[in-house]
Amino acid sequence: MTPTTQTPTATRSKADVGVEQKVQQLRDLYADAPELGKVALENGLPALKQELTAATAAQNAGRIGARQGRVSELTGIFPFAKGGAKRLRGLLQLLEGNFQGADKVGTVHDMRFVFLDNDTKLLFATAYDGEWDAYIDDFATKIPNAMDLLFCNAVGWPGIRSPKVKDWIVEHQISAEAWYVANPNLTVTEARRLERVGKAVEELLDKIG
Amino acid sequence: MVTTATPTKVKGSGKSASAQQKIQELRDLYADAPELSRKALENVLQELTDQVAQTPPPPVESAGRAGSRLGKVSELTLIVPLAPGGAKRLRTFLRLLGGNLNGADKVGTVHDMRFVFLDNDTKLLFATAYDGDWDAYIDDFATRIPDYLDVLNAGWEGWPGIRSPEAKDYLAKHQVTAEGWYVANDLTVTETRQLKRVGNAVTEFLDKISE
Repeated sequence: MTPTTQTPTATRSKADVGVEQKVQQLRDLYADAPELGKVALENGLPALKQELTAATAAQNAGRIGARQGRVSELTGIFPFAKGGAKRLRGLLQLLEGNFQGADKVGTVHDMRFVFLDNDTKLLFATAYDGEWDAYIDDFATKIPNAMDLLFCNAVGWPGIRSPKVKDWIVEHQISAEAWYVANPNLTVTEARRLERVGKAVEELLDKIG
Repeated sequence: MVTTATPTKVKGSGKSASAQQKIQELRDLYADAPELSRKALENVLQELTDQVAQTPPPPVESAGRAGSRLGKVSELTLIVPLAPGGAKRLRTFLRLLGGNLNGADKVGTVHDMRFVFLDNDTKLLFATAYDGDWDAYIDDFATRIPDYLDVLNAGWEGWPGIRSPEAKDYLAKHQVTAEGWYVANDLTVTETRQLKRVGNAVTEFLDKISE
């Protein structure tokens, strides 16, 4: 439907009008896009309309960061202190990807450490359950030493026990502009419970069979 | 760069010796670290001894052409330069969607993904967790939501289009492999959805027999 035919009628809901307006905004927005992008927009419009209709206000994770359902994101870029990149890389290699500490925190879905710009910066990105403040508190109470080991390699890390640590994190955190989670209402704990339920059901079915 | 850790030989009693070696390497590594973290290292050493000596979880492997994989779940981290006007277009697009990226549901292998603007809107960080191997993942996007992807990537400097034979080279060139990668649950998106259904069915079942 082109915007020129857009006559608000009694049967048309407010949401539909909103979507048409958004579609028009999208067309305007992509007017100066590369040809490829413009074509893709026209081809993708039917699907996009559904999403525009479903769009709700973005949620936030509290002090900073995006949240979808019960799952939040934290993305930070931290400049490395002198020798910090080497230490952190050595630590990560010795652990061979074994982060039992994160299991202990119990609210971490995933996390990654990425070295940027010739080892001058660290990108840390994680998906976690719930609110920002509680998440940082969890790390501080459950694995304070591991936190200091990992992040002492960044410039200015005040220490996980310092009252300044939250401000320091916020300073380096960048909220995602968009955040998608496949199963937004499933916490780490709930997923683990479901795994146990699944196994129990299998056993039960085996026994019956 | 792919950080495939050298596989440690675990042969009975050799196990704790290798753990001791690793602890020593850690001490050396942190010898010139700030006081705070040397102290933290000593505090955490016992824990680390247990951790490095235990049978580790499946080792972090390569996800294929680029990226790390732990068990079934892989990571892809991209930093791409944005063309002039690209950031504004993408930001407005994402805001119009209200953060609703459910097109990714169609791909079926995406656990999570984020779009983050960096360095005064000159770069975009795209980071995702997904199931399986790199090649198959990119193919999934290309076959299931090609237009959606090209709308999103229209602002990327030099993006050849997902249908282009150069698309994969472009992605690999801008990808940075994570050197540390952790995933809590070794479940694919599909398995998780199936477990949710099983969980619901069990709850219903239990409700029924307790009626």
